[in-house]
Amino acid sequence: MKPKLTASCVMMYIFLYLMLIVMIVPFLWLILSSFRPNMELFSEPFSLPRHLSLANYSAVLASHPMFLYLFNTVFVTGVAAVIDVTVAVCAGYGCMHVFKGKGFVVFLLSLGLFIPTNAFLVPYYIMVNKVGLYDNLWGIALTYAGINLPITVMVVRGYMDTLPTELMESAHIDGATSRQTLIHIVLPISVPGIVTACVFVVIQCWNELLFANILNQSDGSRTLQVAIRSFLTTFEANYAYAFAAMVLAILPTIIVYSLLTNQIISGMTAGAVKG
Amino acid sequence: MQRVSSKRGSSAFWYTVPALAMTVAFFVVPLVYLIVVSLYKWNGLGAMKFVGLGNYTYIFNNANFHKALRVTLTWLASALFLHIPLGMVLSLMLNRRPKGWRFLRVMYFIPNVISTTAVSFMWYFIYHSDMGMLNGLLRAVGLGHLTRSWLGNTSTALFCNQVPFILYVGLTTIIFLTQLSTVSPELYEAAEIDGADGLRKDLYISIPMLKPAILTNVMLNGAFCLRTFEYPFLMTSGGPSNSTTNLALYIYREMMSANRYGVSMAAGLVTILLGVLLMTIVTLLQKERKVKL
Repeated sequence: MKPKLTASCVMMYIFLYLMLIVMIVPFLWLILSSFRPNMELFSEPFSLPRHLSLANYSAVLASHPMFLYLFNTVFVTGVAAVIDVTVAVCAGYGCMHVFKGKGFVVFLLSLGLFIPTNAFLVPYYIMVNKVGLYDNLWGIALTYAGINLPITVMVVRGYMDTLPTELMESAHIDGATSRQTLIHIVLPISVPGIVTACVFVVIQCWNELLFANILNQSDGSRTLQVAIRSFLTTFEANYAYAFAAMVLAILPTIIVYSLLTNQIISGMTAGAVKG
Repeated sequence: MQRVSSKRGSSAFWYTVPALAMTVAFFVVPLVYLIVVSLYKWNGLGAMKFVGLGNYTYIFNNANFHKALRVTLTWLASALFLHIPLGMVLSLMLNRRPKGWRFLRVMYFIPNVISTTAVSFMWYFIYHSDMGMLNGLLRAVGLGHLTRSWLGNTSTALFCNQVPFILYVGLTTIIFLTQLSTVSPELYEAAEIDGADGLRKDLYISIPMLKPAILTNVMLNGAFCLRTFEYPFLMTSGGPSNSTTNLALYIYREMMSANRYGVSMAAGLVTILLGVLLMTIVTLLQKERKVKL
């Protein structure tokens, strides 16, 4: 299908690249602005910058423990992703078999998909307080694991359901225990499904604000998103600092994305294929 | 298809126990708690007072709740009529493999990996009346009379809240593209022999094949619209005069600012019912498709 250069084809190119500009230019403007002094931002926000400096960045890093926030976010995201994927792989493996009451189990596991979890603001807040994990990274991490479990189970189980059962049967005949079958046979070939689920969970957890906000009080458990939110008020008079802080907060995701573009895109693709 | 049964049947159940336990802890218990405590008047600290359906009568007679419900439905409409169609158009275009389509696909997805918090914050500055890009652009092209305080105006604030969501269609586009990649090339070739042009191929082959992806996207984006909190919270704080307060923000406000935990939970249950309704419709449509196949 080689597109010929017709009028409609030209229109298509214009539309595609116009969308690209609309989507990406604001981010470039943000990055550029983060290197400019505040005065210049107000007097001439769009002219080409005359002074580029790292002053905003050093001011932000000096006044805020950005690396602590980064660590906190990595921690809650990592814990939630590991819990979700482990639990979902086990559940997916269990559901590859026939057992009594499986229908009800599957129903229960998909229950969470129907629930917009922000409705659980009060219940989660009370629960986390009751178990003594308020203002604690584990409280946020476990909440994230809970919220994202249904989608993880759906993606992983969906993928495992497409695997041929003959594999398991032959492993069984060879005398493998069910744990060995899971670890040596099913797990290795389920990697695409697991990667997709992981990408979903990591993006969700990394970017979550609502629960991180209500379950946090001090710097020790503040995530990057909660920190960015506070910049809006903290740096009210100095937008240039706020820009630098935002760039610092989004930089890790951009770096990871540019390194893993192919895995992420093909991961999403593998998971979305069955609908 | 014969699934593995044998004596492993009983041990297979145990593999699902951790997931079941978490589901009970994070969905069943909170749901029961939500339903029960929404029948009480409670400020989060003191004693609870049973008020029956009092919190529900309160929200159904509360103008702000009506507004919040309407705002949330507007969000759903923006997903259905703007976000998803835009994603579909882009995927159909990319599916024709124009020059640089891989690059475009990668770039379109970038906003999806950036946090909604940062995106909201950035758009807050885009709409800023003095230094904002939007007003600056309008002035630059001689449309200075159109400049306004975009987020400070009840007629524009809600749509401005939704614009970043509508534009950032990366994930939606990729889901469509993936579905399109399953269409066998022979179908297109046959259509070409029959003299179909690009548009006809899209209309008669691609779009009908996209139905499952449409349902997936309705599910994902619908769920997003029901829970979206960052855009109204950070860009407009729900204002001006509550014109951008959606259900998520209403629930948050009733709990954190008004200390009416019961009311917050009653609004939460309404949100859950909306979610269940949406998902049930999508699931039924999916089932219907499977039966037809």
